Amino acid sequence: MTGLSLSHLSVHRGPCPVVDDVSLDLRPGECVGLIGPNGAGKTTLMRAALGLIRHKGTSSLARLSAAERARAAAWLPQMREIAWPVSVETLVGLGRTPHLGPGQRMGAADRAAIAHALSRMDLAGYETRRATALSGGEQARVLIARAVAQEAPVLIADEPIAGLDPAHQIATMRLFSGLAAEGRLVLAALHDLGLAARFCTRLVLMHRGQLVADGPPREVLTEANLARVFGLRAYFAETPDGPVVQPVEVVA
Amino acid sequence: MSAERSIEAVSAVPAGAGQGFRALILALCGLVAALFVGSLLVGPAALSPLESLSALVTGRGEAAVLVMREIRLPRAILAVLVGASLGLSGAALQGYLRNPLAEPGLIGVSASAALGAVIALQTGLAAAHALALPGLALAGALVAVLLLLGLAGPRGGAFTLILSGIAISALAGALTSLVLNLSPNPYAAADIVFWMMGSLADRSFTHVWLALPLTLIGWALLAGLGRGLDALTLGEDAAEALGIRLSRLRLALVIGVAACVGAGVAVAGAIGFVGLIVPHLLRPLVGARPGRLLLASALGGAALLLASDLAVRLILPERDLKLGVLTAILGAPLFFHLIYKTRAEAAQ
Repeated sequence: MTGLSLSHLSVHRGPCPVVDDVSLDLRPGECVGLIGPNGAGKTTLMRAALGLIRHKGTSSLARLSAAERARAAAWLPQMREIAWPVSVETLVGLGRTPHLGPGQRMGAADRAAIAHALSRMDLAGYETRRATALSGGEQARVLIARAVAQEAPVLIADEPIAGLDPAHQIATMRLFSGLAAEGRLVLAALHDLGLAARFCTRLVLMHRGQLVADGPPREVLTEANLARVFGLRAYFAETPDGPVVQPVEVVA
Repeated sequence: MSAERSIEAVSAVPAGAGQGFRALILALCGLVAALFVGSLLVGPAALSPLESLSALVTGRGEAAVLVMREIRLPRAILAVLVGASLGLSGAALQGYLRNPLAEPGLIGVSASAALGAVIALQTGLAAAHALALPGLALAGALVAVLLLLGLAGPRGGAFTLILSGIAISALAGALTSLVLNLSPNPYAAADIVFWMMGSLADRSFTHVWLALPLTLIGWALLAGLGRGLDALTLGEDAAEALGIRLSRLRLALVIGVAACVGAGVAVAGAIGFVGLIVPHLLRPLVGARPGRLLLASALGGAALLLASDLAVRLILPERDLKLGVLTAILGAPLFFHLIYKTRAEAAQ
């Protein structure tokens, strides 16, 4: 199983660094939440890690060829684009693209992966529906199912649960931690600190392009970090369901 | 809200998205074959269908053989070549740009090829040598591709490609107008205007042999794009992460469209609306999958151009109705209908 290791990764937009010298070693089995305020460089870090944009430093994924990388890592962009009114099954099936040789048709394994991904995202029965006619949250789930159907050892997702209803947010986070428990690596940019604290095994906190904290949720989500990076004061509690973090007020 | 949504969501992709694809392709092949034979049977020479076909196959009957082999056969073959090129290019460009309004003329190759042809007509080169007009048209197409690749760069996205195409089209259009404007006599101007309307009348096997190699190269390049275009349904970033090399895809697309459309314009003039309307009509029948649309649109384009070329011979046989005029007259109302349907769907 593959992990992801970044070494001195930097991305510059003009003269100013958007991602500034980030080194990170993520291992299979981890469910990593990438947190930070808007503009902290989360998306850019993930795209650079995948080798989709020019960067300095190295990323273990960016070193692979395009085809190898597509089998090693699934990428779920923040922009939820579905350009044509294709069926849900067709759309989820696009996740199988890296597994097909030139001219090769989908086989039983591919169809099983699609069906499995659909059922994991609570989309069984949606197969023949037009993907563009679904609600925004349903489309988001279909796109997550596409990434799951790719069955790559690494899943990198940019704000995957934004816009989902609370039940599907929790279900999706549970799916991600389940994928990690199976031995995959999940890296997801998240804005919901409460869900990040509950479901991630590790949090990586970014601020102005730099990695400012990395570790178990409780070590990263400290009062000092929340105040300094997010400008927030939060309510913390330990419950039988795990840690609860609820932002309550903006601090100057 | 959610009740509304779920009612809307019930609209399923029609059957035919799956196993119906093969049936659709077979039906389109049958349609193209029937129209091809039909095209061989219609013309000003009074030949019965039996006479025509037996002359074509057996080579007996001197006049009939001449008509069939030197006039009607190349015309029908060119209709298939040009029509399929337009349908295929339109489907590929719409898939790449993820925009149903894209058409083969968008990247500026048609306008530049037309400019080359117009210069050949204006300077009298076209009259002096049979291959001067298509040759200069191909040169125009080549200049357009080089300009396009230079402007849009190897790494630019869809947006720079559209802008570059519009700029090149505008420049070529302006230069064409300039040539018309400076045309010394009205006959040359009329010649140019009629040529630009697009036609397959009076073409020979010389035109077929000229267009065929480039057309086949273009088809081969575009036919390989299916998987990449499918993946682009998810957007450029997701497609690239699925292992699709977008810069390579774009290069194959531009060169493929330029080769087959440039060759088409060189032998038939600019024929509009086929590349726009055919992918539109067939999209619902292939479950909206851009990859499957390629083959379907190529066949659909060939069928539409064969049918239109038959129609110009049947409607006004003595007036030399131009093919491009007819496709526009057919295509525009079809487009109105599609807009109306889209609006009605959006209002639901």
